[in-house]
Amino acid sequence: MTAKRARNLAFAALVLIAAMIWIFPLYWALTTSLRTEGRIVSDSAGVLLDEINLAAYREVLSTSKLARWYANSIGTSLTITGIVLLFGMMCAYALSQLRFPGRRLLYLLIVGSFMVPVPALYVAQFVLMSDLGLINRAWGIILPQLIVPVVVIVYKQFFDAIPKEMREAVLLDGGGEFTLLFKLYLPLNWGITAALAIITFISAWNNFFWPFLVATSEDMMTIPVGITQVNDSFGVAYARMMALALLAAAPVILAYLVFQKRVTEAVMISAGVKG
Amino acid sequence: MTATGVHLEGVTKSFGAVDVIGGVDMQIGKGEFAVFVGPSGCGKSTLLRMIAGLEDTTSGSIHIGARDVTHEDPAKREVAMVFQSYALYPHLSVFENMAFSLRLARRPRKEVEEKVNRAAGILQLTDHLHKKPAQLSGGQRQRVAIGRAIVRAPEVFLFDEPLSNLDAELRVQMRLELARLHKALGTTMIYVTHDQVEAMTLADKIFVLKSGMVQQAGAPLDLYDDPVNRFVAGFIGSPGMNFLEATVSAHDTDGIRARPKGQPDLDLSVPITSRPAIDSAISLGMRPEHLTLTDGPGLQVTVDVAEELGGISYQYGALQDGSPVIFQQVGARHGLRGTVQNLLPEPGRIFAFDAGGQRVR
Repeated sequence: MTAKRARNLAFAALVLIAAMIWIFPLYWALTTSLRTEGRIVSDSAGVLLDEINLAAYREVLSTSKLARWYANSIGTSLTITGIVLLFGMMCAYALSQLRFPGRRLLYLLIVGSFMVPVPALYVAQFVLMSDLGLINRAWGIILPQLIVPVVVIVYKQFFDAIPKEMREAVLLDGGGEFTLLFKLYLPLNWGITAALAIITFISAWNNFFWPFLVATSEDMMTIPVGITQVNDSFGVAYARMMALALLAAAPVILAYLVFQKRVTEAVMISAGVKG
Repeated sequence: MTATGVHLEGVTKSFGAVDVIGGVDMQIGKGEFAVFVGPSGCGKSTLLRMIAGLEDTTSGSIHIGARDVTHEDPAKREVAMVFQSYALYPHLSVFENMAFSLRLARRPRKEVEEKVNRAAGILQLTDHLHKKPAQLSGGQRQRVAIGRAIVRAPEVFLFDEPLSNLDAELRVQMRLELARLHKALGTTMIYVTHDQVEAMTLADKIFVLKSGMVQQAGAPLDLYDDPVNRFVAGFIGSPGMNFLEATVSAHDTDGIRARPKGQPDLDLSVPITSRPAIDSAISLGMRPEHLTLTDGPGLQVTVDVAEELGGISYQYGALQDGSPVIFQQVGARHGLRGTVQNLLPEPGRIFAFDAGGQRVR
């Protein structure tokens, strides 16, 4: 065996081990969700998947407000995605293509907003939502999640790269700023729009803490918050909780499998911007 | 105010303290093919963009037909522009690229189809209407850009170095096509180029620009035969005019006699009516085709490079003092490289310029 081959094998083994470490929590959630509550806490529960019992799923589907939470998650995540993209795109267009006083300052403020950790704003945002009477309202969940500077920055970079002549051709053809944005800049950036839509949607879907603060009524909860509701009188119901967690993750996993390339692209681009 | 073509009066353009266009007056007749030509940075593209409305005009006025369009939006000026980079919309098909302006104007579907198909027919693009710009060759893309301009039926076509991105062969072909198109449409066209061959072959009227000022305007051959200054004389014509520094040695009935620097035995007859002072310095301009070989006394040129083009050849050399000289030979087959030749300009074919570069007549 040559040294190169040995190195390759060692590298492959390392990657495999890393992948197993990454996948294990998901595997463990799946194994747990397929066992009875009693078995989970007994000594006989090993690492191997030796039991397939769908009781936890049946229980969760029949007793929890899963459908409601799904609807809430879908509603809020789609609204957040739509608004974030629309406004992010328009803001980026203005910063990239229009000349107005304070443009650079505005852009610096948006870039600077990266420096502020989101949790630092929770108290202020909670007070604001409370003052606006939006606790336990969908808009209370949605509004604070609309601040996504990375969308503006990524769009601006892509808009900056579009040749000036194309813009001028549209102006000569009789188009205005809206024509430019929606018939030229947006169609030329469908790829990045799709990528940004996916990461915005996934991050809104997975967001736990903010909806957990704002939605205290079971009817207003999103799926990640709903998971915390699955207890019984004897304490935490692990199988049901894991079943619910997997059901909550299912749409995101599905989206990832379908749009794998775009998601990777989006993560790379936003990571590049966040530096 | 004339109601035809394009008329510019006292047009200036400044970027901050820098004046890029300094007081341009021009008149382009309806249906004329005008060419702005000049070296890089002379302001020719800026001037075209000002006519298009893509750049603000600092002062002065621009009229298209009878309308003052100085402060109109680009779309309302009834001009169409063809860009050097084509500026096609990459996400749209050829058809949709050409139909874009009509769709924005919400023209009926039938009219859009009719106009696009007619333009495609003129430009031989009918078989490519469904393709995306990326699937086309450079020449085809340029045709689509022209087609996009045609469907708008503008009063004025503006071309900003449209052939610069094409290879030499295609450039010649497209040049011919543009000339035919102009003949077929009869619309006013303004064309910007730094290539004086394009200017000479396409233009009804050439505007030579330098540092934001029109140096001379006129028919191509008028500019060639009768340049007003040394810049125009040197810019129009390829290869360029030869310039020799000289001093006025005598006055005679046909003009003056001038002695080129470093040639004490040679007095050239310069046919001008003015009489610059004896011993004053002037520049002499001679076109390569007006220099002929002589066995007698003449400009002694050592030839170092010869460009043999078949029918004609260009011989590149230098005088003893190092001044470069180019001369043309027709049908010659004997190589002159490395030889010393005596040259004399054809009588009456010498231009004279003063120290400021202005023509002395």
